[in-house]
Amino acid sequence: MAVLNRMDWYDLARSTNWTPTYVTEDELFPPQLSGAFGLPQNAWEKYDEPYKQTYPEYVKVQRDKDAGAYSVKAALERSRIFENADPGWKSVMKAHYGAIARGEYAAASAEARMMRFSKAPGMRNMSTLGCMDEIRHGQMQLYFPHEHVSKDRQMDWAFKAYDTNEWAMIAARHFFDDIMMTRDAISVSIMLTFSFETGFTNMQFLGLAADAAEAGDHTFANLISSIQTDESRHAQIGGPALKILIENGQKAEAQKRVDIAVWGAWKLFSVLTGPIMDYYTPLEHRKQSFKEFMEEWIVAQFERALTDMGLELPWYWDIFLKDIAETHHGMHLGSYYWRPTVWWNPAAGVTPAERDWLEEKYPGWNDTWGQCWDVIIDNVVDGNMALAYPETLPYVCNMCQLPILGTPGKNWNVKDYPLEYKGRLYHFGSEVDRWVFEQEPERYAGHLSIVDRFLAGMIQPMNLEGALAYMNIAPGEMGDDAHNYAWAEVYRALRETRKAG
Amino acid sequence: MSEVQVLKPQKTWSHLAARRRKPSEYEIVSANLHYNDRDPDSPYELSPGMFMNEWYKKHTFGTALKHADWNAFRDPDEVVYRTYNMMQDGQETYVFGLFDQFNQREHDIALDARWAGTLARLYAPARYLFHTVQMASAYVGQVSPASTITNCNYFQMADSLRWVSHTAYRTKELSLAFPDKGFGNDERHYWENDVAWQGFRELMERTLTVWDWGEAIVVLNLVAKPAIEESVLRALGESARHNGDTLLGLLTDAQLIDSARHRRWLAAFVRMASETPGNLELIREWVARWAPLADKAIEAYCGALPDAPDAVNAARQATREFRRSLGI
Repeated sequence: MAVLNRMDWYDLARSTNWTPTYVTEDELFPPQLSGAFGLPQNAWEKYDEPYKQTYPEYVKVQRDKDAGAYSVKAALERSRIFENADPGWKSVMKAHYGAIARGEYAAASAEARMMRFSKAPGMRNMSTLGCMDEIRHGQMQLYFPHEHVSKDRQMDWAFKAYDTNEWAMIAARHFFDDIMMTRDAISVSIMLTFSFETGFTNMQFLGLAADAAEAGDHTFANLISSIQTDESRHAQIGGPALKILIENGQKAEAQKRVDIAVWGAWKLFSVLTGPIMDYYTPLEHRKQSFKEFMEEWIVAQFERALTDMGLELPWYWDIFLKDIAETHHGMHLGSYYWRPTVWWNPAAGVTPAERDWLEEKYPGWNDTWGQCWDVIIDNVVDGNMALAYPETLPYVCNMCQLPILGTPGKNWNVKDYPLEYKGRLYHFGSEVDRWVFEQEPERYAGHLSIVDRFLAGMIQPMNLEGALAYMNIAPGEMGDDAHNYAWAEVYRALRETRKAG
Repeated sequence: MSEVQVLKPQKTWSHLAARRRKPSEYEIVSANLHYNDRDPDSPYELSPGMFMNEWYKKHTFGTALKHADWNAFRDPDEVVYRTYNMMQDGQETYVFGLFDQFNQREHDIALDARWAGTLARLYAPARYLFHTVQMASAYVGQVSPASTITNCNYFQMADSLRWVSHTAYRTKELSLAFPDKGFGNDERHYWENDVAWQGFRELMERTLTVWDWGEAIVVLNLVAKPAIEESVLRALGESARHNGDTLLGLLTDAQLIDSARHRRWLAAFVRMASETPGNLELIREWVARWAPLADKAIEAYCGALPDAPDAVNAARQATREFRRSLGI
């Protein structure tokens, strides 16, 4: 053999722990950054990453992957897929890029935190590659939408969203900052890679890739499935860390981090991914409902990942299982009604055919969410457009930063979960959101939700116009109905028929 | 009512649109990507006073190394992720081609046993040293105030893993040719105890605990890395050539290509930093404070290299010349 096999030298490349003497171990790995849970370096040397890759393999494989994704893009650049796409599909892309691209880039620094501060040498090398992956995802998901920026001002938000106080972006930052930007190395590995990436990015990327392929957007389908192949490697960084924590009597702490991250991820998905899958994606291109995706990816697969690891299901699992059929309908209703405050054009997704689909996937939809939509539909059909737009802000949760909502209809169940902490009254949209706050109040207590800021007079003038200015969203960027209310024609015709009859 | 202005699409991101120049792919995907500079009171969207917010307020935004717009920094090589992989896949093909070819020629067996002992002591432990550069670059990257600076440090982190990997590979290969020299077993011992390495170990343990971004980027890149590169890449490579180890000489040359790229972004960085009055003096002060530790490391390491009588002086001089070329 002229060249060694990778496993001949792999272990040497990850035998890099040494005993510092010019500084102490705690100085080299400050506990608040390394999160070693009181375990010494040698306890972490048992860390064994299941997905092994060397540097030369990495640059070769990634070069090939890029060649694939970028050549599909180049080949299809003149195909006018964007111009000809259903407006609902364009909204999918806009929402996705804005909320995800620079968040992925930020994740490079979360990976770099694990690289620098983990006491596990194998984790340090895998996070080096993970950091590179996240640079890739940030850069690709900026380069691809940039092609469309000259056609549509809302595409500017693929870049701009993270710089604004747009309400959904406050929620996205609050979640990502909580689980990945402000945690120690080991907590990042549990909350970002194990909890978020294993469960949720799978669903965002594979689920959306399936819908994109159906919608004929092969560039986007290719892009995000290529990204997912990286995720499935670096998502495995957290598993072995959990194993070490459990072996060393730290299961409760590990479990708590999983529970916090999964809940936050769920809430963010309920506002971003739920509406995309069940309302924006054109009916004929929907592969599965959001709930079905959640059941496949989170309930079936992630549940198994948890139990395989020796962890329990989060304590709130029954609440979660109930919510996956409900919450995102409210989020959609809210983001549609408050559409001037988002950087994409929400598709209402409530034609009679779509309502049949919703009723089939979510029995009882017409008697609950459908009732609210009936009011909006009537206003649109009657030309009472002023009533079809908001004047104020909804109340938002002090944890997930999203509207506090319930299920309408006979069993209208909206409920505030308040908590007084050090003289300030906080409001939460669920028992779980409040529980998350209680785990580490000082992490969250000083934050002001957009409604808190409004009430504190930080948003002027104190009306929707002031709020829009605060969110840095202007005409040309502000969302409106994706199909310019063309869907209302069906209802107008139905009404005419009824009158004539 | 006043007429409402409706924003029109522009040719590029709004943050780049004001300039006349068409942005490159590099700028489109690299510039202004951090979002933790929106609110000086709270870099991250949580309690302003929580630990990590305080960390960034103090160490990133509170550093004495100031610039009105670090986001204006541009990597002169304009490296983006996909070009990095093209470049480094090519470089790795070259290096692994060398490994293959020299293995076929039974290069290692032809090496002098004494030189093999030197490699066990002065080469194989370098994976620890390169790993400290990997760690330090990861830190500087995560606390840099501009994504264009962050990226240079992250690519440098990946390059350091590349050097770690080459060293691990050669260590294993040498262990097959010289089973009695401790290859693959003794590196940690040498790194922790051998006098030749203690200077670098002290330098890097201390560099790794500099939390202030300004000082950390200067100490790592203008003091520690040049000392390492001039000693453990250049001087070792020369010593190797004098001991019939052509392969190591070619390998360190290949690694120095990475180092040359790092030095190009550093030159741009220092040039930009010196636009703020006082920064050059501050950088000089940090360099003056840290250079003695680096010189001690060079002395201990290069002094131990065989057939390299002038290595200590040459390496020390080279670090000075590099800094002088940047005006420091």
